[in-house]
Amino acid sequence: MTGLVAESLVVRYGGLVAVDDVSLAAPAGRITGLIGPNGAGKTTIFNACSGLVRPASGRVLLDDVDITGMSLPRRAQRGLGRTFQRIELWDSLSVRDNVELGREGLLAGSSPWRQLVARRTDAREAQAAADAALETCGLQDLADRPAGALSTGARRLVELARVLAGGGSMLLLDEPSSGLDDSESGRFADILRGAVADRGLGVLLVEHHMGLVLDVCDHLYVLDFGRLLFEGTPAQTVASDEVRAAYLGTAA
Amino acid sequence: MSSLLPFVVIGLVNGSVYGLTAMGLVLTYKTTGVFNFAHGAVATGAAYLFFELEVRRGLPWPVALPLTVVLIAVLGGPVMELIGRRLRQVPVATQVVATVGLLLAIQGTVIAVFGASSQPFPAFLPAGTLHLPGVVVGVDQLVVLVAALLLALALFVFFRRSRLGLSMQAVVDDPDLLGLAGTSAVRVRTVAWVIGLATAALSGVLLGPSVGLNAPLLTLLVVQAFGAAAVGGFASLPAVYGGGLALGIVAAITTRFVPDFHWLSGVPGSLPFLFLLGLLVLAPGRLGRRTAPARRPARSERPLPSWLQRGGPVVVLAVALAVPAIVGTRLPIYTSGAAYVVLFASLALLVRTSGQTSLCHAGFAAVGASSFSHFAHGAGIPWPVALLLAGLIAVPVGALVAIPAIRLSGLYLALATFGFGVLLQQLVYRTRFMFGRSGPLSVPRPAGADGDVAYYYVVLAVAVLACVAVAVVTSHRLGRLLRALSDSPLALRAQGVDVNVTRVLVFCLSAFLAAIAGALLAALSGSVDVAPFDPFQSLLYLAVLAIAGRGQLRAAVMAAVLLAVVPAYLADGGVLAVYEPIAFGLGAVAVALTEGSRDELAALVTRGAARGRARLARGPAAARLQAAR
Repeated sequence: MTGLVAESLVVRYGGLVAVDDVSLAAPAGRITGLIGPNGAGKTTIFNACSGLVRPASGRVLLDDVDITGMSLPRRAQRGLGRTFQRIELWDSLSVRDNVELGREGLLAGSSPWRQLVARRTDAREAQAAADAALETCGLQDLADRPAGALSTGARRLVELARVLAGGGSMLLLDEPSSGLDDSESGRFADILRGAVADRGLGVLLVEHHMGLVLDVCDHLYVLDFGRLLFEGTPAQTVASDEVRAAYLGTAA
Repeated sequence: MSSLLPFVVIGLVNGSVYGLTAMGLVLTYKTTGVFNFAHGAVATGAAYLFFELEVRRGLPWPVALPLTVVLIAVLGGPVMELIGRRLRQVPVATQVVATVGLLLAIQGTVIAVFGASSQPFPAFLPAGTLHLPGVVVGVDQLVVLVAALLLALALFVFFRRSRLGLSMQAVVDDPDLLGLAGTSAVRVRTVAWVIGLATAALSGVLLGPSVGLNAPLLTLLVVQAFGAAAVGGFASLPAVYGGGLALGIVAAITTRFVPDFHWLSGVPGSLPFLFLLGLLVLAPGRLGRRTAPARRPARSERPLPSWLQRGGPVVVLAVALAVPAIVGTRLPIYTSGAAYVVLFASLALLVRTSGQTSLCHAGFAAVGASSFSHFAHGAGIPWPVALLLAGLIAVPVGALVAIPAIRLSGLYLALATFGFGVLLQQLVYRTRFMFGRSGPLSVPRPAGADGDVAYYYVVLAVAVLACVAVAVVTSHRLGRLLRALSDSPLALRAQGVDVNVTRVLVFCLSAFLAAIAGALLAALSGSVDVAPFDPFQSLLYLAVLAIAGRGQLRAAVMAAVLLAVVPAYLADGGVLAVYEPIAFGLGAVAVALTEGSRDELAALVTRGAARGRARLARGPAAARLQAAR
């Protein structure tokens, strides 16, 4: 099975079990959502998948390869891209440089020597990847602006374009709609759907904003208190009494 | 065992003073968010002020001591709050530049007023001795110990129990919220500065008699408080005091064994820095997690006009080529200037492009200078090969400094690199691998180019090569990676780059160039010893680079001119060279304080200019329209 698979993940912070035996799959060509109330363990699972948190037990597989022990850069080298809830852009670089570095970073990171010296074809490859990603995200007009000078909505798109330019097979998006208004997050959803359809990517999305989740996701996992509460299509999830109880706190 | 007791007593006394001053330092840091590198310099200033009042003016010490402390703390507190308030809005690297500049300015002032030579500092506390079981204790020692302990206790109780002390704990987290609760954050922070400065002043006066009046030594001694602060994780006051005590005792006991084991001689003085570096690098988790700094406002890096970009280097090079024909006997000044261009290019690569801090560049230069002498003079290796080897020797040293850079950033990296520089000086400079103990090392100039003019061109050629190398590196892949590293290392890692490799690469490259600069400078004077590579020189380099304006290589050239060329001419014009560090220090403070507002100023000027031009062309209404756009 391709895409990202988490098997029986357990994550502890000291004595606190933040994630308790959670398994999930985010296959290629689909947008998978991970939702739950505050403190449910969404971000922890997310960080365990991307390499910022080490799970106490369980495995993370990317395209059938065990990546559980790998660092963040090594996972990126294998095609796992991610964005951040607190947008992490290179603010003093232009939008184009940000997006080009999405590809160039992967080329440079392949060995210490490559950080110093580029292959002759690298610049062209990075430019082509950036051109395509900027077009997908509708950022051509902003390409020469410094990334730090943009609105939050545009910055989210630059982050998406950067990770798209990397050309990975799997994207992890951390609360992409936070800080966006409804029209901005609608636009983000359209662009994301287009990118997934065009490129056959797999996406795992952590999100608070139910509108975006129901709009773009093909499949949802619902977490509560570090455990998997429910999984199913958006329609099934909305209809589920358990989920409603967890979110609204009523005994359904 | 009984022979150890007197050393334990000395250690307790000194350690108690370190502990107290470190508590003041940490309390100010916790409350104001600004780490005061100048803490030790304040202590030095206080020691000299006390000396002036007590010895020269003949005031009794019970008057002179409080007067000194109160003068410094009460006058300095509000000034520091004014400075600190602005500094809280700038990146940590800029804060470091500001307080380092303050250190240079204070120390420079002390030397300008009282002279650079060390003077004896007569003991002022009552003499007398007490015979305790197993050990004889001086009354003065007892007084210092008890006073420091009581003050430390008082400080701790004040911080934990009093309303003002509690406000101090709140003010860092959220000054606005504190304001809502009816407490003035400005007042709270001012009090914190007053306390911090008072402990610094007190420690300077109390340690003075055992050290003598020697500005760099006193400053360094109180900088040892950084080590004690590290023990307490820059947060816990009792642990900080305990750290000071422990450092004092271990250092004093080590002193006891120096006569038996000669290799220990550098250890007592460097212990705090061993502690500092060790704790910072091995246990970064102990450091209190500070709230993430405010996002750096996007700088509108307006590129220079293209004619200047292309023409500037050509003009500089043309002038540099013509220098020997113009300046006559002043040529060696320019030769050292060219060597400093290499040094500042190396520092700018690290500080400007990659956003890291190095306070140990003098150490890299020292490695280059000494090993170049061993290669070219000792082993008779051909000059250019020896120069290259001297650079290469520094590469592993750079890689070593990159270890703290991997684990730390901002303030802690600055502290760690400074600690590394001091350790290099205390423990390695005097070994036979570097300068040894038998006087200056001979450093040859290249065969056939040992005349001043010929050597100038040799150094100039190396400087041009170095600048081209830095320009090529920064305009290609590594340059982009470094700029990205400066903005967000996390994002770079998420894009597949092992940023630790990037950091090691840039430190190695920087150390390589700095070592070459050191070798070039050494060959200029023909012989070299440890003096030019004092750790404080690294602070001076950082300050001078800060005031050298924008850009990377442009700033490197400007900085070299400021440091090497300008003072020489001023000295000819009768301006004393002693004012030089004061000017650089104050300049660095000013640059740091205006960092946020300089772009606004520039924008104001350009808009005004555009309006003026339009007014001339089309009248006032069109001008306003133009300016509004």
